[in-house]
Amino acid sequence: MTAAGVQSSPPGAAPAPTAGRPAVAPLRLAWLYLRSRRVPAAIGLLAGLGALLWAALRWRWNVAGGAAAQALIPLTIETGAAAVIAVTTYGPFGDPERATGRWLPWLRLAAAVALTAAAFGALAAGAAGGALPGGTLALLRDLGGMTGTGLLSAAALGGAFGWTGPMAYWLATESVLAAHWTTPWIWPARPAHDRGAAICAALVLAAGFAAITLLGARDSGRGPVPD
Amino acid sequence: MTAATDAPVRHRPRRAGGAVTLTTARLLRIELRRSTMPWILPVIAALFWFDSYRFGAGTPPYWVLRTFWNMGQGRTFMDFAPFVAGVAAWIGSRDGRRRTADLVAGAVWPRWGAQLAAWAAATIWAVGAYLVFVCVMFAVYAHQESLQGSPPWWWVAVGAAAVAAFTAAGFAVGAFFPSRFAAPAAAFGAFLAVIVSSQNGFGDTSGWPLILPNNANGNYQPISGIFYPYLPDLPIARIMFLAGIAVAALGLLGLPARAGGARLRLAAAVVALAGLAAAGTASVLVRTARLTPHGMVIPALHDAANDRPIRYTPVCGHAAGVPVCLNPAYRGYLSTIAADLRPVLAEVAGLPGAPVRVTQVPGRYASGMFEDQAGVWVAISGTPPVLQLPLDVFNTLPSPTPGSAGQFDQELPLLSVHEFVAGSGGGTAAQQAVQAALLAHAGIPLAAQPQALTIFGLPDWAGEDLQGLVAGSGSANGPGTPRGPVYAAARRFAALPAATRHAWLAANLAALRAGRLTLAQLP
Repeated sequence: MTAAGVQSSPPGAAPAPTAGRPAVAPLRLAWLYLRSRRVPAAIGLLAGLGALLWAALRWRWNVAGGAAAQALIPLTIETGAAAVIAVTTYGPFGDPERATGRWLPWLRLAAAVALTAAAFGALAAGAAGGALPGGTLALLRDLGGMTGTGLLSAAALGGAFGWTGPMAYWLATESVLAAHWTTPWIWPARPAHDRGAAICAALVLAAGFAAITLLGARDSGRGPVPD
Repeated sequence: MTAATDAPVRHRPRRAGGAVTLTTARLLRIELRRSTMPWILPVIAALFWFDSYRFGAGTPPYWVLRTFWNMGQGRTFMDFAPFVAGVAAWIGSRDGRRRTADLVAGAVWPRWGAQLAAWAAATIWAVGAYLVFVCVMFAVYAHQESLQGSPPWWWVAVGAAAVAAFTAAGFAVGAFFPSRFAAPAAAFGAFLAVIVSSQNGFGDTSGWPLILPNNANGNYQPISGIFYPYLPDLPIARIMFLAGIAVAALGLLGLPARAGGARLRLAAAVVALAGLAAAGTASVLVRTARLTPHGMVIPALHDAANDRPIRYTPVCGHAAGVPVCLNPAYRGYLSTIAADLRPVLAEVAGLPGAPVRVTQVPGRYASGMFEDQAGVWVAISGTPPVLQLPLDVFNTLPSPTPGSAGQFDQELPLLSVHEFVAGSGGGTAAQQAVQAALLAHAGIPLAAQPQALTIFGLPDWAGEDLQGLVAGSGSANGPGTPRGPVYAAARRFAALPAATRHAWLAANLAALRAGRLTLAQLP
């Protein structure tokens, strides 16, 4: 018995990708990454949230209360979108992926940016169903800021629990709205063109992108995670 | 060697019931140790501190007022609901996410039993944390200030039931839809439910919305815990509703074929139906709720023993020689009230109908969230006349809120003088002028009276009196400045020597109260 033939593939096996197709490899890597993060399902959910927003505005689903209360349902839907984006950062592979994935930080950043853009697109399309309080500018600001809280909580608590950030932020915001606070850190309470609120939301989003790019979600091998 | 020595020692077999109990306890212990729920508790604790605790502070020192936001309006369980639902969904989806459903299906324990153990562990963590957080919050409140009345334990129990129900619902979502998105979907659903029910609960004062645990309409007002016990009727119905939802969700878990044998699935179906029946019954019961002067009563759940007032021995002081007696829970306001009433009582002393005693009386529940929605009032009645103060109706009781003391110091004399001069209705021009003059001598200058007449919660007559005093000069920018015939007559009357004023009132008070005097007839 010899070792001859050990390295040969069994009959019928798919040929290994070769260096002769450099353009396909990055695409394949990106696609595998997106699938491992369940991005296609996330896009479906974001589209569903866009449809929900469209229905809420089209048929004027409302809750009792003043002007602040009228924005509750759209903001809650934006919170849901931010939660979906945050949960996609959960990676099932842990250390092996971190050790071998040279492009991982860029993939994380690209996926987060692309999903945020997709969420904005879906919700902006949903906003066509009626009058969105604050308009598209407020949607961009609020969604961006909440996505930032989601990415930060994913980096701190784990991708599977990234949804806690937007939820906690919005629950706190709801109390603050009732108490008529006006701090720019509670950006949904400020007018759409408020510069301070926009800066705060942008800072939180940038921090979220930075954290998820540089550190990744906590469950990607950076520490113990609950399951 | 005999056969007897070779025979194995035969132990009496342990009872199967004991073994099951022990195994259940072990399984529960394992699930408690591996549960994900404790991971989320720091986030909830931070939110609880910011939302439930901080926004509850700053009210007068009564349990029912201090806990109105976090218990009456259900903020404590709202801070828990989305998170426990989401994490429970994550726990419930465990077998599906790990593709171990087939493995555990072949275990000794039926899958439903194992799922119930996992849910029970998650619920023990969640409800335990809820109770600890609430008790710590209550302890801090009690430590900061001596709170009067009694804590709303029934509402604490409702919150605990709500936390358990959201945990069960979230767990079911995770078990049926095992995915990484199950947790945010369950949290989002819980979040939407609590936010929408919270906002809509503000508007619905009767019917099925009363089942919502964050609907404070007609069931959490300041009489409770001080003059009457908190009525447990509505909390009992809410607990029944929430427990029914929890039981129905857990029963649903046992319905799929993989959950266990036919008998077990049948039992699960019965459990699910029982849960739905409990929730449905509670929803029907709240439709029979009716508002009474001291709370919301559901006839089928009502215990007449809860209608008995809480006994107390009044604490008394004096104002211009008139005894002022309050419920001991309001002892802290005795000196303020005596000081506010002293110039008023001195001004009317000896006049016909002048109060010879001031007594605190309980207010009445209003159909909205606050007693003052029916208007803040005082009354003078009886023989000899007694000035009755329902202090629990006053929304201006001095508190850490800036400006609240000043408003109360104006509102109490204003209401008392109006009651003395004009009764409970709107005043004639002459009554408005005399009222303004008496108030000017009671410490509220004429220039300050338009602002006092705009204090939130005053009865409708305040608007009429304001229009008389400012002669229509009020606008959206302010209540206006005193001018016109009522103001002129008030200035004239106030400028009289005290003895002259007193003598004129003694002679003309009956005609003034009857509305028979005009401004021209005032001195």
